Amino acid sequence: MVMTSHWRRKANFYRLRGYRCRDCGKVFFPRASACIYCGSRSLEEIDLPRKGRLMSYTIIYGSTDSAKFEAPIIVGLVDLGYTRVIAELTDVGQNEVQEVMDNGTPLEPVLRKIGADGESGVIYYALKFRPIMGVSSGEE
Amino acid sequence: MALILQASLTRVNRYYEKDVRKLAAEVAFNVIDSAIVDDVDYVIVGSSLSYLQSPQLDLASYIAGYIGLRGARALTVEAGEASGLAAVQIAKSLIDSNHAERVLVVGVDKLTDHVSSETYRHLQSIYDTESDAVYNIGHAGIAGLLMRLYMSRYGVSREDMAYWPVTMHSHGKSNPYAMLRFNVSLEKVINAMPVADPITLLDLYPIGDGASAILLSSHEDSKAGDAIAELVRIESATGYPSPALRDDPLFIESLEEASRRLNMGTREWERVDVIELHDTSTITAYMILETLGIVDKGRAPQEVAKGRFTVGGEGPVINPSGGLKSRGHPVGATGVYQIAEVSLQLAGEFPGVRVDDAKLGAVISINGHGSSSYVGLLRSV
Repeated sequence: MVMTSHWRRKANFYRLRGYRCRDCGKVFFPRASACIYCGSRSLEEIDLPRKGRLMSYTIIYGSTDSAKFEAPIIVGLVDLGYTRVIAELTDVGQNEVQEVMDNGTPLEPVLRKIGADGESGVIYYALKFRPIMGVSSGEE
Repeated sequence: MALILQASLTRVNRYYEKDVRKLAAEVAFNVIDSAIVDDVDYVIVGSSLSYLQSPQLDLASYIAGYIGLRGARALTVEAGEASGLAAVQIAKSLIDSNHAERVLVVGVDKLTDHVSSETYRHLQSIYDTESDAVYNIGHAGIAGLLMRLYMSRYGVSREDMAYWPVTMHSHGKSNPYAMLRFNVSLEKVINAMPVADPITLLDLYPIGDGASAILLSSHEDSKAGDAIAELVRIESATGYPSPALRDDPLFIESLEEASRRLNMGTREWERVDVIELHDTSTITAYMILETLGIVDKGRAPQEVAKGRFTVGGEGPVINPSGGLKSRGHPVGATGVYQIAEVSLQLAGEFPGVRVDDAKLGAVISINGHGSSSYVGLLRSV
């Protein structure tokens, strides 16, 4: 990863910002200069819903050097209602994730480390999704 | 008219002792020498990962000089995994528009100049580096998500998904250009090392280098011998940056569009005798088959299991080369391999599993899971 390009993406990956097309009404992520569905340039930046459900997942065993610290990685296809995203999951075990999908447990985004340039290099962060458990979430 | 006069392939493998130019030179010399030509109007090179592995800009020009064609016009084409077929599309357009009479197309790529974890990082950039690929996810990961979605939607078991690699290995076993020339069993596929659960190592293409070349001509050339096939048309289309953004993540809309531009509906696909398609993983192959309507949605596992796509099946015969799964996938070179293989099938000269009396052939190449799709049609001459 490169620090400047990751810095440019901070709105996308720290805040889960998406884009709504003023012409066709569709919502998508990440940023584009025109609507990926209809081509209109009339877009507004919006906060994507902070609650999603797991449509599918995979458990990745091999990984690049910058992310070896967290292997295996669980990645999900998360349905946010207006749109979907592919993102890492966190705070959920390999043996629990199938249940999270089957039960339709709601997921919420949290900021987490996704990689590092060696021991003394830059640490990269992005949003990951975790199951909303119990009463402490307060995200309705 | 665009005729394929010659085709040459290198066995996909790990060539630590050969660089991109050397790999390109071997196949280029084969087609030039077989055709007894000493000049071409254009050299079009399809390459992709080599830029990240052994960076060389303006690669086609350096290759032209290296193989004794200094002075020829040269152009490098990069379209990710579809680079090879994109290069052939550009070459054909030069011939169709009378800008060239004879074009040498070389697909060449290098995946083994770095340790594998580094190669996986390079391969991640096949996907959208502004979204999906920011995470530690590449081919296997995206395919793993899509495969689980498919299995849960259609109630397909892990074992049912293993017939594809088994079939591909049974094809590739007798292909001298295939990297993996051995049979695998259902059990072996299922119990192989997990890479991106539910995907195992044997669901995925192997990492290897390779080069393939064809000589494309606007007319029969008595010196060059008989053409082996006619390249009828190539079409392409771009798609969404991520499968997550499609109405149906398992439907490749860019492929549907490319196929529509060729006027290829379900019935037209049934008339094709032999297809080489882009099976980076089992699920990718099934998404292609179901997008094109070659099989109904959710039916690919059953059709593959009953042997429909092998010689003697109902047809069309798919990936007699062994496909990306067994022949291998030198990323930016693969589309040229596919064109070379189908041409040799149509000429009755393919040295592996052969499709007898094949008249109509097709090649399908995509980047990732459909950021772009390319479809080529060939017929016997």
